[in-house]
Amino acid sequence: MSSTTTDWRPATVTQKILARAADQAYVEVGQIVHPRPDLVIVHDGYVETAYRELSALGFGAIVDPDRTVFVTDHAVAYNSDVAIRRGATIRRAAAEWKVGRFYDVGQGGHGHLFPIEKGLIEPAMFVMAYDMHCTNFGSVGALAISVGTEVTAVLATGTVWTPIPETVRIDLTGQMQPGTYARDIGFHVATALFDGRWGADYDFRVIEFGGPGVSGLSLHERVALCNSITEIGVASVIFDVGDVRSDDDAPFQSRVTVDLGSIEPQVAQPGGPEKAVPLSAVAGLEVQHTFIGSCGSGMYEDFAVAAELLAGRRVAEGVRLFVTPGTVDTANRLAGAGLFQVFTEAGAIVLPPGCGPCAGGLMAPLGEDERSISTAATNHQGRFGAGEAYLASPATVVASAVAGRISDPRALLQEAR
Amino acid sequence: MTTLLYSGQAHVFGDDIPLDEGVMPFKYAINRTTEPQALIPHLFETVDPGFTDRVGRGDVVFAGQNFCYGKPHVQGFIAMAALGIGIVCRSMPYKQLRRAVAKGLPVITGAPPLDAFVSTGDSVEVDFATGVVSNISTQTSVQMATMSAEMAEMVQRGGLEGVLRRWLAEHPEQAAVAHSAGRSV
Repeated sequence: MSSTTTDWRPATVTQKILARAADQAYVEVGQIVHPRPDLVIVHDGYVETAYRELSALGFGAIVDPDRTVFVTDHAVAYNSDVAIRRGATIRRAAAEWKVGRFYDVGQGGHGHLFPIEKGLIEPAMFVMAYDMHCTNFGSVGALAISVGTEVTAVLATGTVWTPIPETVRIDLTGQMQPGTYARDIGFHVATALFDGRWGADYDFRVIEFGGPGVSGLSLHERVALCNSITEIGVASVIFDVGDVRSDDDAPFQSRVTVDLGSIEPQVAQPGGPEKAVPLSAVAGLEVQHTFIGSCGSGMYEDFAVAAELLAGRRVAEGVRLFVTPGTVDTANRLAGAGLFQVFTEAGAIVLPPGCGPCAGGLMAPLGEDERSISTAATNHQGRFGAGEAYLASPATVVASAVAGRISDPRALLQEAR
Repeated sequence: MTTLLYSGQAHVFGDDIPLDEGVMPFKYAINRTTEPQALIPHLFETVDPGFTDRVGRGDVVFAGQNFCYGKPHVQGFIAMAALGIGIVCRSMPYKQLRRAVAKGLPVITGAPPLDAFVSTGDSVEVDFATGVVSNISTQTSVQMATMSAEMAEMVQRGGLEGVLRRWLAEHPEQAAVAHSAGRSV
C-alpha cells in the first residue's frame, strides 16, 4: 500500500501516540518532546507532597484541572492520625485546584483499574501518572508513562520533557495451559527481560505486546501482563490493539516471540516479579499470609477464578487470606454474584477496594517471621511487612491458602472436574 | 545559573549500589521525608558509615554499574543536591538519572571502569558541561560523555524547582491569591 504523504516513515504505536500528544507529524526514537497528556493521575501517596511543594513555590492553580485525576487508593481506611489529616489535605488540594476528577475514599477504588472499567482510558490515549503501575492502561492500547515526583511539573506546566522511548516488541503465540494464568506469563516475561536471555534492553523501553496470541487474552489478562513486567524499570507496556497500531516495519529495538502454551505456573521469589521460577521449585513452603488483589490481579475475573477454586473449601488453620477487590464496581459485582460469601464462608477476610496490603502494608501486613504468597504488584523486601513475600496467580494463591503451603492450582482444578 | 564545574574529593563506590538501603535507608522513602537536613546524616550510611562527616561541597561520588537501582525514590538525591556533590558512574537506570537531575544534581553516566583512575580521597575536578574528569592527585584526565543538553539545562536552572519558579514568574495567573484581612475580593 502506498502512502500519499512524502514524509511517511514506519513508526511504533508509542511514536504515533507521542507524536499526536506533542502535536507533531512524526517523532523519532530518542527525540525529546513535551507531550500534553490527555489525563494526569496522582494518587493519595503523593497529592499532599505535590500540594505542599507547589504551594511553597507560590502556585495557587494548576494548569489543566479538567484533565487532572486524584485517586485515593492507598490509605482508604485511614490507619493513623497522619492518614486522616492527609485525607483532609487531599480534599483541600482538590477543591483549591478545581481538580476535574477527584475520587475520594470509597468512590473509585484502585486508580490503575477503575479508570479502565469506567472508560476514562481509551485506546491511543496518552497518560502521565505519578505511579509506575499506570502501565495497566496499555491493556487497552493507551500509553501511560510514570513521571514519579516530576508530576509536580506536569500539574504546574501541563507537561514534562520526554524522550521518545525505544520499543521491544513481544509477539505472543498459542494459548495458556490450564492452570497457567496471565500473572504467570508476566513473571516469566519480566524474568526473561531482566536476566538478558533475549538480549533485549528494558531500561526505559516500551514493551509492546502483539501477535496472534493477543486475541485469546481478555482485558483482565492483558492488565495482569502489563502490570507484572512494570517493576523492572520499563518506560511503559502497551498492547498493539485498537486503531492506532505499530507498522510492521516499525523501528523495534528488538523483537521476540513467546509461546503462551510453553509456560507453566510460576512463582516470583522474594525481591521482585523478575525473580520467577517454576512453581514446582518452591512448592511445599509453608505460608501464613496470603492475599488476592492489587493493581495486577484486582478485576472481577481474577476473583471469580479464585472463588471457583475456593468454593466448598476452607483456608488452612493459621493462614490469613485477604481479598481486596480492585474497585468499588468490582466489589459491587462480587457482592451481586454472591462471591463475597464464598470467600467469607471459606474463612477469608474481605478488605475495602483499593491497593490492599500491597500499598506498603497499610492494612493486613506480613509479619517478620512469616511467609506470604499473594498477587501483589511487587514483593521487594519490606513491601508489606518484614517477612518473605512470594508472588503468584490468584489460583496459585488460593491453592496455597487452602493447603497452608505453596501449592499447584492444577490439582484443585482437576478435582473440580 | 549554577556552575557545572565541581572540585573536591572523590568518594568511590562499586557496582550495584541500591537506592533503598544503599544510598538512603528505605524508611525515609516510605515516610516521604523531603527535608534535606533530615536526610543528609543518613546518606550512604548503610554502605559507608560516616560518609556525611567526610563529604564536602564540590565532592564527587564515583560509582560503578547500575548505581541507584531499585524504585526511583528521591530522598538520596535530595541529600546529595543539598550537599552540593555530583555523580560520575558507569551506569544508572534512566528514571533514577531523571529524578537526580530534576533535583539539580549533575550526573555523568557511561564512565569507563574507574578502579585504576580514581580512589576515595583523591582530589578531583569534574566539568559536567564538557565531560572532562580530572584526577588532580594522580594528574590524569579522562574525557567522558556529557549530560544531554536538556539535563544540563535542568541542573543549571536549579532542577525542577528552578524551572517551576521561572514558569510561575511567566504565568502570574497561576500564582496563589494573597488573602489579607479586611479586604473584600
